[in-house]
Amino acid sequence: MAIQAPGKRPGARLEHSKVFGKKFVRAKKLGYASLMLTSLVDMFTIIVIFLLMNFSANGEVLYMSKDIKLPDAFHGAQLERAPVISVSNDAVTFDGRQVANTSDLTKGDLLNVPALEDALRDERRRFEQIHQNEPDRPFRGLVNVQADRRIAFRVIKRVMFACNQSGFGNINFAALAKGSAPKDKKVALK
Amino acid sequence: MAGASPHPAAKGGKKALDAELNLVPFIDLLSCCISFLLITAVWTQIAGLQVASSGGPPEPQQNQEATIDLKLLLTEKGYSITMPGAQVDIPKIASADGQPAFDRKTLGEKLRTLKSTLPDQTAITVEPEDAVAYDDLVSTVDACLGEQLRNVTVAPLN
Repeated sequence: MAIQAPGKRPGARLEHSKVFGKKFVRAKKLGYASLMLTSLVDMFTIIVIFLLMNFSANGEVLYMSKDIKLPDAFHGAQLERAPVISVSNDAVTFDGRQVANTSDLTKGDLLNVPALEDALRDERRRFEQIHQNEPDRPFRGLVNVQADRRIAFRVIKRVMFACNQSGFGNINFAALAKGSAPKDKKVALK
Repeated sequence: MAGASPHPAAKGGKKALDAELNLVPFIDLLSCCISFLLITAVWTQIAGLQVASSGGPPEPQQNQEATIDLKLLLTEKGYSITMPGAQVDIPKIASADGQPAFDRKTLGEKLRTLKSTLPDQTAITVEPEDAVAYDDLVSTVDACLGEQLRNVTVAPLN
């Protein structure tokens, strides 16, 4: 017996009948297929809500580098935009420009780092020139220090000394926020 | 199919009550939103621990009578909390990898006890040795901030 397509199969006489024959004529399939867009819209909406919940209007404050692995902190505040001093195992950079070698800072008894101090003084001068007509925006001496977790304090203290010498007294140590760090609280300024 | 075209009139000239929404512009909008949010997303939350360095201006204390000169030393032996007339040593403990590590839990307990005794105390000076790692310094400052010692000054020990 021949293989037949499933479905109703009329007899030969009924198939040619003018009255009943139309019931068994198969219509041509349309070329358009309807898509179920509801689930797609649902999924898009959920993704947008998730991304909006995680959205940060501040953007990236620090330049994240592969060489620098930040320590964790549970009680940190939100970082403000400020000049960034990065200390990796190889180099000390100020806003992305290398100002010293880390290995050089581990040697000697002197605390000063002339290149870093010059860069910080230039930054201070630049800020004061830009905001000289804005008395409500005084220079606050805010600087973010981002160091690798293994960097010894003998390097950090020289960086802090350079900041102090250049008038940047508000030092923020950068760390990865863990736990329930308050998002809306910014680092208090003196 | 999602479209704005109305249904043909039903039998008897009655208009159908169901209307289909045109979802295509909505999907376009959502796609743009997702692209924008994905590009501008910041996946790592960075925290800042504000400290003053020893050369900076001294932080004014609210009530000088109720506060003391509190120092927290980080040495190769461990923590050492010093205050006028007293000293508390917290030796290092063995960490998970067998290396000696600073005992942050005990430090938190001691600072909590201290804070309950002196509720107006907000200032503390953290003095690490040169060999102390940035990780240990940050976790110590973090512990101080967690116990409401908000005015942390960092000064070299030697």
